[in-house]
Parts: sequence; C-alpha cells; structure tokens
Amino acid sequence: MSAKAVSCTIKSPVALQIGDAVSDSSRPGVYITDITLAEPVNIQEISFKNYYTAYVTVRLQRRQGGSAKWVTCLRNYCLMSNPHAEAGSHDYFSIYRHQMLTEPDSVTTVRLILRQPSSEWLNFSIEEINIYPCAKEDSERDVPAWISTLTPVEEPLDLNGLPDPETVSSSIQQMWALTEIMQASQTAASIGRFDVDGSYDVKLLSYT
Amino acid sequence: MAEKHRAGVEIMSDSKSARAAGDEQLLSQSGVSALLRGALLRLLESRPEDPVGFLAEHFAHLSSEAEDGASERQSVSRALWHLSLAHHSHRSAFNNNVRVAYELLTQGVPRRLSAGGVRGRLYSEMLRCLCSEGGLSGSTAAPLLRRVQSHDYESVPFELFRQGVLTCAVFADYIRKSQCLYAAVASAPDRPAERTLCHAVLSTLRDALETADGIDVARYLEASAKISPAKVAQAMAEVQPRAQRHDGPTMDAQEFEDAAAALFIARVRTVT
Repeated sequence: MSAKAVSCTIKSPVALQIGDAVSDSSRPGVYITDITLAEPVNIQEISFKNYYTAYVTVRLQRRQGGSAKWVTCLRNYCLMSNPHAEAGSHDYFSIYRHQMLTEPDSVTTVRLILRQPSSEWLNFSIEEINIYPCAKEDSERDVPAWISTLTPVEEPLDLNGLPDPETVSSSIQQMWALTEIMQASQTAASIGRFDVDGSYDVKLLSYT
Repeated sequence: MAEKHRAGVEIMSDSKSARAAGDEQLLSQSGVSALLRGALLRLLESRPEDPVGFLAEHFAHLSSEAEDGASERQSVSRALWHLSLAHHSHRSAFNNNVRVAYELLTQGVPRRLSAGGVRGRLYSEMLRCLCSEGGLSGSTAAPLLRRVQSHDYESVPFELFRQGVLTCAVFADYIRKSQCLYAAVASAPDRPAERTLCHAVLSTLRDALETADGIDVARYLEASAKISPAKVAQAMAEVQPRAQRHDGPTMDAQEFEDAAAALFIARVRTVT
C-alpha cells in the first residue's frame, strides 16, 4: 500500500460509435483509454475514481520474450450495480493482482474499456488512475539500530559475585526518569540579566 | 386543649428556626465555612501523616499571614512550608503550592518593585533551604545552586521560580536514588563498591541520557532499551571478568554521589 505509483501516460479516451462520429448526434456508450508505462512493470494494484462508468474491462499488453501480447485480465467488472442509478457513480475502486484472470507481469500498456449502457448520463469516464507495482522484498524502511540489540544474548552471563541487575537497572531507570522530568520542565524564561529594557541599543549601553 | 398544644408547638418551632437562621447568618458572615472548606481541601491535597498537626500549622500560618509587616525570614519559612505539602510528582498540587509560595514572597513589597517577581536574595535563600531540607549537603548542592540561583538584586519571574524550585526538589530525589544505587552496586553494606562496576553503571546512565534528540517516544524507547536489566548485566559482566571480582580498587559513596550529581547538573540550564 505504501508503494509509490508508477509514472504513466494516460491517453485521452476514444469513443466507439456506430456511424460517423461527426454527423451522428447520439452519445457514445463505450470509451477506450490507453495507459502506457515507461518500462515493464509487475502490477500490484490499479486504483481509480469512477465517474458514472457502469462496467470496465481491463486488457493488458505484456512483453514476454521479444513479443507483445494482449490479454484480458478483467472482463465487464461492474462498478455501478444499476447503471441508471447513482450508486457507485463517484466511488473509488482498486483492482488487485489476485482479482485478475492472468498474472499482470511485465506489462507495458494497460487498456481500459469503459461501458455505460444507460442513456441517463451525458458523460462518463474514470479519473485519477494510479498503477502500483509489486513491492520489492528489500525495500523495507530502515529499522533503528537499537531494536536489533533487544533480543537477549544467547549464552547465559556469569553473574556470580555481581550485583543484582534488576535492582541496579531499576535505580538507574528512576534516576534517568528524574533527569528527564527536570529537563522537560526547563523553560526559556530568563531573568533578563543582559537585557536593557528588552532590547540592545548601542547608545543606551554606553550610559550603563 | 388542642388549640393550646398546637399554639405551643408553633411557638417552639418558630424560635428554633430563628436560631437556625441566626446560626447560618453567623457562619456566612464570618467566612468560617469558607475557611474550613479551604483547610479541608489543603488537607486532602497533601495527605500528611499527622492531620491534626497539619491543621494546627495551617491555621497558625493563616493567622500570621493576616498580620501586616511579616518579616522576610517568616515569609521564607512560610513559603517553604507550603512547598513541603506536596511531592513534585503530584504535579497539579505542587504547582498550586509553588504559586502560593511565589505570592507569599512577592507580597509586602511595593507594586512597582515587585513587578518583575521575587527578589533575588529571597529566591536564592529559598533554594538553599529547599536543598538542605531535602537532605542535600552544602557541597553536593553547591554546583546546582551556582547554576540556578540569581544575584541578590535581580528579580525572578514566576516561570523561573517554578523551574528552580522543581529542579531542587527533583535533585534531592535524584541524590537519594543514587545513594540506593551505590548500595545496590556495593552488594555488601560494609564493603565499598568496585570502581570498575561503578564506572560501568554510571556510563550506562550517561548513555541513556545522551540519547540523540528525536521524537519523544522514540527517544524514550531507545534510552530505556539501554538501561534494561539485560543490558546492565551485560555491561557489568564485561568489566568484571570472573577472576577479578572483589579484587580491584574501590570507589567510596561520596565520590559516586558526586559523579552521579555531575551527570544531572550538566543538564541543568544556567540562569541568564
């Protein structure tokens, strides 16, 4: 979840219509959006914000060996349960790896086919598309050094003749806590030993 | 007959209620109920072992405060008494007492002179008495006092007053704890502690205190990891291989106390 989105170029949607796009006045019911990725990516998640799209189909172009192949990884995924109603029309969606029909590895292009069969809505699209790659194993955040020293030493220490570590440690802890209390209560207040009416004025100093 | 009885009863209840009304009036006019309420609240805040003695002192102080022209000596001793009522760990009660003590020390001085706060001489004397009441010897307290006390002619604002008083109270506790620590390290009441052990123990404390700055929570976790029993045991075992125990040079209690005090005092901000 904390992985950063891969940078991608989202092309503007192309409408699929019967007839001449210019002369025909009916609104299209299918849009296709292509997203090109800079380099082949193993996709973990695709997230987007819906705007009145009812169904989405996701196709991926995978580069395997030298060839590029188109595969469908999600067919007619329903975003709005009733295309005429508002439910799901503005929702945020995430499509994960495990929901896809094929493994989204080495993907170069993602094609989203948006369908909205209802004539209620003037326009439909999806926005804020983000593609997240699989997290790498070694990209963990830095662990502070002292955490690794918390596990006790394997071989038992020889404590014969030494003072009891529990008592000693408890006294040290209390002394440390008292010092912290003192430090926390330090204020920045001052007596104003070196102030001259709250300001330094060269002319005034010469009179003191 | 019945009428007489009834009249008798009515007259009795009238005089009783008149007396009761007179009692209530007396209490509210003299402010006695407020006085008693205040005394009980102070008692609950400080929870002394001797409640009757505490109440006696409380009322004695109240009556002497009512007089004008109390001497400085008396002001300081009264302020000290207020400060002794609550341990510094009872934060809100302690803060109240500090406020009362501050008011005590600033009253009796004309308004324009006391605008800055408590007179420096009174403040320094207060701190000295606090340290000695806390069981600190003059030589132990001297380095701390050098850092926090003020010149005689300066006037100390409330924030600085509170900080100084809290620092002295905490320092007294700290020295007591360091004495317990020495007793634990010595592991036998009649024998002084091994010098290497003392150094090891003091350096674990110093490490914890010098934990790098950061978010408070992370800093506390890191510091407490350094002074866990396992870490302390490891540090002690490292400096004392088995063969050499009970053989090396020793450190006496006063030197240990001075070294521990130095760790604390190094972190006290000097007053400017």
